[in-house]
Amino acid sequence: MIRFSIRLLLAGGRRAALAAGLVGAGVAMGTLLLAVTLGALHGWDAREARTGWRVDVDSAVARSAVAEPVGTARVRVDSVAGRPMDVVDLSATGSTAPPPGLPRVPAPGEVWVSPALAELIRTLPPAQLADRFPGPPTGTIDDTGLRDPGELVAIVGHADPVEGAVPIAEFDRSAGITIIEGYRQLTYVAVALLLFPVLGLLGAAARLTAVRRAERLATLRLLGASTRQLTVVAVTEVTLVAAVAAVAGIVAEWLLAPALALIPLGGSGWYASDLRVPPLVALAVVAGVALLAAAAATRGMRAVVVGPLGVVRRQAPRGLRWWHLLGVVAALIVFGIAQAAVGTSGFTVVGLVIAVAVLAMFGVVWLVGPWVVRLVGARLARSARSVPRLLAGRRMLDDPRGAFRPLAGLTLAVFVAGFLAPFSGALGGDPEESAALRVGESVSVEQVQARLQERGLAATVTASRRGPLVEPAPGTNRDEVRTALVPLAGEPVVSSAERDVASAVLAADIYRGILIVLVATFLVAATSAGTTAAARVLDQRRTLRLLNLAGTPMQVLAAAQRVETVRPLLVCGGIALVAGLVCAAPIMSAQAVLEPAGLTVLGSVVVIGALLVVAASAASRPLLRSVAQDRVAD
Amino acid sequence: MTPVLRAIGLGHRYGATTVLREVDLAVHPGETVAVTGPSGSGKSTLLHCLAGIIAPAEGEVWLGAERIDRWSEARRTALRGTRFGFVFQFGALLPELPAVENVAVPLMLAGVRRRDAVATAAEWFPPLGLAGLEQRRPGQLSGGQEQRVAIARALVTEPAVVFADEPTGALDSATGAKVFSALAALTTRTGAALVVVTHDQEIAARCQRTVVLRDGAIVQGVAA
Repeated sequence: MIRFSIRLLLAGGRRAALAAGLVGAGVAMGTLLLAVTLGALHGWDAREARTGWRVDVDSAVARSAVAEPVGTARVRVDSVAGRPMDVVDLSATGSTAPPPGLPRVPAPGEVWVSPALAELIRTLPPAQLADRFPGPPTGTIDDTGLRDPGELVAIVGHADPVEGAVPIAEFDRSAGITIIEGYRQLTYVAVALLLFPVLGLLGAAARLTAVRRAERLATLRLLGASTRQLTVVAVTEVTLVAAVAAVAGIVAEWLLAPALALIPLGGSGWYASDLRVPPLVALAVVAGVALLAAAAATRGMRAVVVGPLGVVRRQAPRGLRWWHLLGVVAALIVFGIAQAAVGTSGFTVVGLVIAVAVLAMFGVVWLVGPWVVRLVGARLARSARSVPRLLAGRRMLDDPRGAFRPLAGLTLAVFVAGFLAPFSGALGGDPEESAALRVGESVSVEQVQARLQERGLAATVTASRRGPLVEPAPGTNRDEVRTALVPLAGEPVVSSAERDVASAVLAADIYRGILIVLVATFLVAATSAGTTAAARVLDQRRTLRLLNLAGTPMQVLAAAQRVETVRPLLVCGGIALVAGLVCAAPIMSAQAVLEPAGLTVLGSVVVIGALLVVAASAASRPLLRSVAQDRVAD
Repeated sequence: MTPVLRAIGLGHRYGATTVLREVDLAVHPGETVAVTGPSGSGKSTLLHCLAGIIAPAEGEVWLGAERIDRWSEARRTALRGTRFGFVFQFGALLPELPAVENVAVPLMLAGVRRRDAVATAAEWFPPLGLAGLEQRRPGQLSGGQEQRVAIARALVTEPAVVFADEPTGALDSATGAKVFSALAALTTRTGAALVVVTHDQEIAARCQRTVVLRDGAIVQGVAA
């Protein structure tokens, strides 16, 4: 029967190929997005394995956690040519395996640099860079010890631990909780935010060909096929297409990895290989997508009953069940527990806890949506004075879950926007950035002025509570000023903004991540809305065609479709927005949404959401026209 | 008597296949005309041309004193909603609407207020043996009941011509006979003409006139 199903699929002609192609495109896009987020998680793991030992660590945690350290390290943030540079002062405690990327443990006085830094040392005058190090580069760090090919890092060997150094447990993992863990937790939240919309898209794509399948099943039923055989035929086609499309999604992710690697996160880009989903995870994704598609196809089959005469009849719509409301209560309880746990949970699980809270609230929106549609439909059907409104209201009342399906993606996208808007509000403001270079407290203004005069460098030097502040004069090379002052300061000479580069980078990354997640969510939502709207038109094509034959103008049919989409979306969107703000409340004040950046995000969401509704509705209108005015069909 | 509907020299083709050739036909008010013939003989295409569903490639279609075959699609659609009534093989009712609202829809499309439209629609239920079924959904009706609701919907606007395409094709013979009786009786009572496309010779025999098509041309029956 499976072989027969495959033959049916392959021999279906152009229309079948087109339908399978549409299903495949939807599934491939969903899989691609899922693979990108999973690839990001893999990227953090790979980055941590290579550079975790030297990422600035929480020293208290690190010291208490390390019993037998392999060495000590201090990471200093420096800057050259306007780019951040890490200088790692390492003293190894004995014979041990070298840090990743190095052929041996650096001996005292040795300077190992990344290829990008080696190139800068070669090209810039020594007074701008090379003079900051105790000697010329000993060698280069290879790819296995770097965040990305462009990273600027130097590892300087020392005989004894330098001041402020922390113990290193091992070179192949983090000594403590690093910023990478923070990024990993944020990625968990991003996965959670994308999960439901992607699942919705997979479901929408799988249902696209439900009617065509039902018609084929009717023929097979007439020929005496059993229910089990019909199920095999229905499931085989969708599962096969979904599995092939999922593989295509994974391949696309692998091909896109070099482009994705250019997106900076955590202060640098990536190695493309770090972002590629590992084969085993890829297999699991393909299997999962195929299973989901099979489940969607089985559910789609339940929507039609194939009678003994091979007549496809719509089953009485399955109404909303009271246990759906129980589901809402359960999801709210899970959300409450997760919300309470956010403040008390450890750093390594906080992202997962937030993800659970987000998923619970997603569940609430998902379950409440059809009820809202039902209420809106009842009100509309009661008060309708025109045919489009009456049709729309009755359709919503008749099948609230079906009517909510095209709106689900956009509703969830609005939820995501509501969740993220306060973050963008809090992060969007330009931090006051001081460009003045700060020299250590132990150095006097006079010493700095003398040193600069000696080197012929013009700058304004002022005193501050935390040491002299140096503002290079226009035309004076900033890196030369830094390099000249390093021997005096005994540490990198950077501005406060450059010193706190990790925080600045994190804030920028979160903001960038928010925009990426929003764009991805809305793209998925738009595809999902368009696909589902098309599926609904195809579901109703016979009725639509006969209505048009009997003299119902196209405008009436299109208007009914528009009312059916816009009315409930406004209500569902409002609820989703509030739910998103509530979900973000434990982490970020909802008032942050009133910041200009937050308002910008929300305003954009409203405008883009409205445009998407119009576009999705308009996209299915040619199909509506073609279906309604098909004079040859049947 | 002046014909309510008249076709002159109708011809139509799909690609290279000619499906109608030189068809002349006149239908008078209150008349029932059966169009029969083997599959592929052009019955449905003739009905589509007469009803303004498609514009014929050749010939003319007149509704009373107006030539309608060159009207725009939108104008012909509006015409179908007001001057013509349709009964299809399967009821083609809107599954989400109660029966009475299905019947009221053509009135509402014509601009009648909802309350009045529903009240008028409900008046058609007792004569069709549907009293008490007004609030049932199509899915809750039998095939015969669905067809009766479709008949009510076709007649509620008091059209000039009712077109029926295999109206009893999906029903058993006993139910089919009852449904057709109701259709013919009510159409005649309203003064409308009835054009029925059918394979069923018993149904054709109950019409006042039968036109037989073969290979797109009338081969038997009074054309005008």
